[in-house]
Amino acid sequence: MSPVPAFFASYQARVDEVLRRLVPTDRDGAIERSMAYTLFAPSKRVRPVLTQLSAEICGGAATKALPAAAAMELVHTASLILDDLPAMDNAPLRRGRPANHVEFGDAIAILAAFGLLNLSYGTLVRSYEPGLSARLAALLDEAVGADGLIGGQAADLLATEREIGFELLERIHRGKTGALFNAAAVAGAMTAGADAESIAALSAFAKNLGLAFQIVDDLLDVEGDPSETGKATRQDARKTTFVSFSGVAGAHQLATELCQTADHALTPFGRRADKLRELSAFVAARHV
Amino acid sequence: MEETRPPASDDPRVDELRQRLRSLGYLDAGVDRFVLGSARSTRSASAIAFFASLRVGALAAVLLGPAAAIGLSARMPGLVTGPSDAIVVAIYLGAFFGIAIALSTLLASLLVASFSRRAKMSGRRSLGLAAGVVVTFGCLLYLTLWWQTVIAGVGWSAPFWTLSALALAVAMSLLLGHAVSVASSAVALAASENQTFGAAETRAVKASLSWPVTLASGAVAFGAAALLLTWSAGATRAATVPREPLTIVPSGLRVRVIAVDGFDVRILEELTASGRVPALATAFGDGGIALESAGGTADTDDPARIWTTIATGQPPDVHGVEGLETRRVAGVQGSVAMAGPSPIARAIRGATDLVRLTRPSIASGTERRTKTFWEVAASAGLRTAVVNWWATWPASPEAGIVLSDRATLRLERGGPLDAELSPATLYDTLRQQWTEIRTRAESRATAAIDFNGEEAARTILRRSAELDAVQLELLSRIATPATDLSAVYLPGLDIAQHALLGDEPSRLAPSGLASRLEALKAYYVALDRLVGPLLAPAQDELVVIVTEPGRVSGSRGARVALRGVIARLPDTTASNATSVAPTVLYALGVPMSREFSTGPLIEALDPRFSTRYPLRYVASYGPPSTASATRAGQPLDQEMIDRLRSLGYVR
Repeated sequence: MSPVPAFFASYQARVDEVLRRLVPTDRDGAIERSMAYTLFAPSKRVRPVLTQLSAEICGGAATKALPAAAAMELVHTASLILDDLPAMDNAPLRRGRPANHVEFGDAIAILAAFGLLNLSYGTLVRSYEPGLSARLAALLDEAVGADGLIGGQAADLLATEREIGFELLERIHRGKTGALFNAAAVAGAMTAGADAESIAALSAFAKNLGLAFQIVDDLLDVEGDPSETGKATRQDARKTTFVSFSGVAGAHQLATELCQTADHALTPFGRRADKLRELSAFVAARHV
Repeated sequence: MEETRPPASDDPRVDELRQRLRSLGYLDAGVDRFVLGSARSTRSASAIAFFASLRVGALAAVLLGPAAAIGLSARMPGLVTGPSDAIVVAIYLGAFFGIAIALSTLLASLLVASFSRRAKMSGRRSLGLAAGVVVTFGCLLYLTLWWQTVIAGVGWSAPFWTLSALALAVAMSLLLGHAVSVASSAVALAASENQTFGAAETRAVKASLSWPVTLASGAVAFGAAALLLTWSAGATRAATVPREPLTIVPSGLRVRVIAVDGFDVRILEELTASGRVPALATAFGDGGIALESAGGTADTDDPARIWTTIATGQPPDVHGVEGLETRRVAGVQGSVAMAGPSPIARAIRGATDLVRLTRPSIASGTERRTKTFWEVAASAGLRTAVVNWWATWPASPEAGIVLSDRATLRLERGGPLDAELSPATLYDTLRQQWTEIRTRAESRATAAIDFNGEEAARTILRRSAELDAVQLELLSRIATPATDLSAVYLPGLDIAQHALLGDEPSRLAPSGLASRLEALKAYYVALDRLVGPLLAPAQDELVVIVTEPGRVSGSRGARVALRGVIARLPDTTASNATSVAPTVLYALGVPMSREFSTGPLIEALDPRFSTRYPLRYVASYGPPSTASATRAGQPLDQEMIDRLRSLGYVR
């Protein structure tokens, strides 16, 4: 398991509890098993933890943020299942196990992904009062849509085996990683009733952290050990990555600077944001 | 968790990528980088307050230092003598305001944090904003008053300048207020740990100003203030240059001004009755005209103050020489008057001297804001010579021949000139003649003194007479061939009187007082012999004898007497000390400045002269020249202080 900060455990446990209620693991149906298979595979739960921490530093209760946190993880898991499909990245391993489509077949995997995606919106609608749930759903819509995950993945697929420019690479990273990082942080703040400026500060944190996270992902694809990362390495060999532009050392340097910038965005929150700072330190230093 | 921090890459691609990331909105935390930049690694409210306050203080130093220097230089013209002085003063004031604002910000932040722990959510932001608003208005108030000072000194009335200055003041005030608000709000947020907060808490913290914007704003404000500073340093003096040329209507007269300090008319009257001072008796045959002080009784206590009043025809609050003792600020060539008998003023002087921020100095011409009568005459094209007048160092090269109050000291000590006299070419000549000058002065002093009393008193009389004789000897050498105007200040009587009687003669025992008074009277006799030849005017000459009672209490007031073909017994027996300069200039045919508060002593002049030469006026003589003669040597500040201390002028 990855060496996440110690405080992660309680936050992970809380969101896992919610996720297990949403996606029970004792069902026999293929689609339910497929959904649970990837959802409960070993995971750091970075996004839902980010949602809970954002809510806390904005004065909200982490428990109130849990449905939103769970929704983020559901969307993220759905995106992973879809990304691994043969029609897309065709990745054999995910979270240390065979990828969902390898275990359940392409069709079930696709349905499981849609099931998780559907569940995320439903969770938001069922858990919050109409005004807040509508704003959270709109937030998720932006993160998942053509300007977010879907758009990023599409751009990524079209860029495969092509030489692409830096701006397009950023667009891909922003869509595939940054959008959901941003949504996770902002959703937590929204459940706490934070003002626009607090949300903007957390958004700046998430934006920089999200790109740093993706750059480190690129680095792990080059340097990582599949037994530790839980996924196949050199999968990006056909792709242009951040490392292609900056080299390994440069990518490390920029990832560190992005994490430092993310920390700086938290300055107004004082000590309350220490856990978020630990999260960014983890991202900067992670090797799995 | 393993922490790995890769070494900084020197790959040029990284720099390029960094720039591209910035253009895409990354690597920008979105908080005020300037105010909170140094607090990024801190967590506690007090630490954030401390680091943010340092930044705000630095901003205040950059903004307010030059602005305050402009105002101060307008108020104290002697302080800033050039660009280097202006920079040093701006740095001092910048440090002062920086520390003051930093402390204020720290205090405000901590207070806001303290209140915010008890305040409701909405109250916290209001407190932070309130701190910013208070600083904004305080700063704007100060800058407006500062601007008023500058206008008073420079005379700007153009709407463009006024609007520009106000816009600058507003920008600076808003910037500082914003910075304080950001700092206070950040501290309030950090202090509200473990408390619920939310709505509108971070509005001020989330910066609208990134560091480049802050830096650019500061740079623009600083640049504008610096330009104003540089401009106003010259403009304060150049702005009121008279537009009308000084056209002389030659009267054919030469004027000789003899200034005698420490003069008591009662002693003169007594000696006149006994026939011991024939020359002075003739000069003051009618008793002369009593001169009231232009600036109150305090004038009589301070020779630099009253003699500058006499020389300029303006009261002290106009001419600017407030007192004999001044302070030189470390690193600044100019000086600032820090006179004042109050214990607080003394304590401040003592404290700043102790930390070597200031050091004692003597009143100089750099503090003077108006022209002396010899400077006016010289600017009108007349040949002038002045010897030993107070506050004439550094000698101006545009004021004829000037042997300043430090000239004797320089001639004694030798070494390169530090503007002790002008023109500089005169220095070599006088240095070569110095031994002869001293010898002649000593012999004239010895011959003049007729006193057989106690040895100590004789020594005092001889020393004083030698001082006067040296000045007279110098005048005779520099005013040959005859100048249109010559003036000499004779300190000997005041020095003798002070040495013999002290500050308060009433404290002396009656027997001692009698013998000391006899010695003093002997000095009047000696003075009569020394100046006698000068008191008799030639056919084309007006002699003006100005006396002042000096430092000994109980003496009667200043007097002026005119001798010469155009002089007559005056209708009045009283006038003002400021009337001497207009009288001298009028006799020379120079038009009067409308800035004079009193006119010439018409009643002491022959009506035919007044009729033939009606009063003419110009708006102003303009400010004195800022140029000084050769300054290659070391200033004789300490030597001057030591000498004046030995003579009882400085304690």
